[in-house]
Amino acid sequence: MVDSNKWGMVVDVDRCTGCQGCVVACQSENNIPINLEEHFNQRRAIQWIRIERYWEGEYPDVKARFIPIMCQHCGNAPCEPVCPVYATYHNNEGLNVQVYNRCIGTRFCANGCPYHVRFFNFWEPEWPESLKNQLNPDVTVRSRGIMEKCSFCVQRIQRSTRESERDNEVLEDGDRGLNPACVNACASNALIFGNFNDPDSTVSKMKEDAMQEGGRGYRLMENLGTDTNVIYLKKVDGSVEVTHGY
Amino acid sequence: MIPGDFQPQKPTGTQLAKLGVLGVVLLGVFIGIVLVLTFVISSWLGRPVIFGHDGPEQPIEFPHETHVKELGMDCTFCHRNVEKEAAASVPALGLCMTCHSAVGDELEGITKMRSLYEDGRSIHWVRVHRVPDHVHFVHEAHIRYFSEKEGVEAKAVCATCHGEVAGMDKVRQNRALKMGDCVNCHKQNNAPTDCVTCHY
Repeated sequence: MVDSNKWGMVVDVDRCTGCQGCVVACQSENNIPINLEEHFNQRRAIQWIRIERYWEGEYPDVKARFIPIMCQHCGNAPCEPVCPVYATYHNNEGLNVQVYNRCIGTRFCANGCPYHVRFFNFWEPEWPESLKNQLNPDVTVRSRGIMEKCSFCVQRIQRSTRESERDNEVLEDGDRGLNPACVNACASNALIFGNFNDPDSTVSKMKEDAMQEGGRGYRLMENLGTDTNVIYLKKVDGSVEVTHGY
Repeated sequence: MIPGDFQPQKPTGTQLAKLGVLGVVLLGVFIGIVLVLTFVISSWLGRPVIFGHDGPEQPIEFPHETHVKELGMDCTFCHRNVEKEAAASVPALGLCMTCHSAVGDELEGITKMRSLYEDGRSIHWVRVHRVPDHVHFVHEAHIRYFSEKEGVEAKAVCATCHGEVAGMDKVRQNRALKMGDCVNCHKQNNAPTDCVTCHY
């Protein structure tokens, strides 16, 4: 048991098959509005987690590479200081929190974020009548004009913390109730969620192993000094260089 | 009389009538503003300032007084999830029917309820308590904390926020349930005041 939690994730790019299971799971867990083709064309689609696809090599020896990207929950987040109303801040559990009630929709944070993981609600979200009852009651439906982003499924963290307190149990590492929806949905265990402050947790061990000299670990855009809470493990076959992608 | 002295003219009949109409209109505007202000203040506080202290009209009269005061039932008997889950929950009609298939033949509401039950429908109760948007309130955690702290049963905790529901003719909201209300109580009890405790 540790005094304070620092939630984080390890993403093993070597295991990712690009199946988009995490994207779908996130979409349904977090009441994310349905992205239509026109929304993508306008670059206004909302995807808290997305799979970026890169092509490696020249035809006929082409390989598709995938990398899941979600909010990195930066320890030194570029989105936080630019918010004029403190709608986004860092809480003591290492989460970069978005407070919907405070947000006035300046979109400064989205411009500040180098990972492109903050999304603005350009429209009032709409669901077809048949899908109205599938909305998750534990998550707010965001209205038009405010920012949203990955919350590491904070509703699940809150629920499992509360339930472990109720039953006098220790919050288990890798508990399915605690894990974000994307982690549970990942078929190849490419995403692992846990507490970095707990030295016995899977993520702490993986981080320690990966970040040492010669390890596979890296952070996205590490040179920016954002001190992210998401650690990526690079692909084992790293012989081919990325030539182009989108 | 000094020549050129100011002589007040006597108002004519039409002028008097115009002034009268103006006065009535201004009075109306004034009353309107007061009513609007009352409404705004009431909705801000979450409860009526002057009139309408009663709760909303429900489709079937449910006298808490009879059930709780006279029969001595626990809050948790009907609101069964209050110690387990976020929502306190209103019971399904089946629970009412455990008694009311035999009791209360003479009451109009019971007849209505029985016919709804037979059709497999439910009563659309009017919601009384509502926290502001983007807030997630969990009954279980609050009941657990206060009953442990004061060493009392769950049913003794409800009144902290809901007031003496047993004495209410129609159930009404007792506390403002605004953020200031919540945060004050959280501070007094050393509960977390991190935004994400409630807002997510």
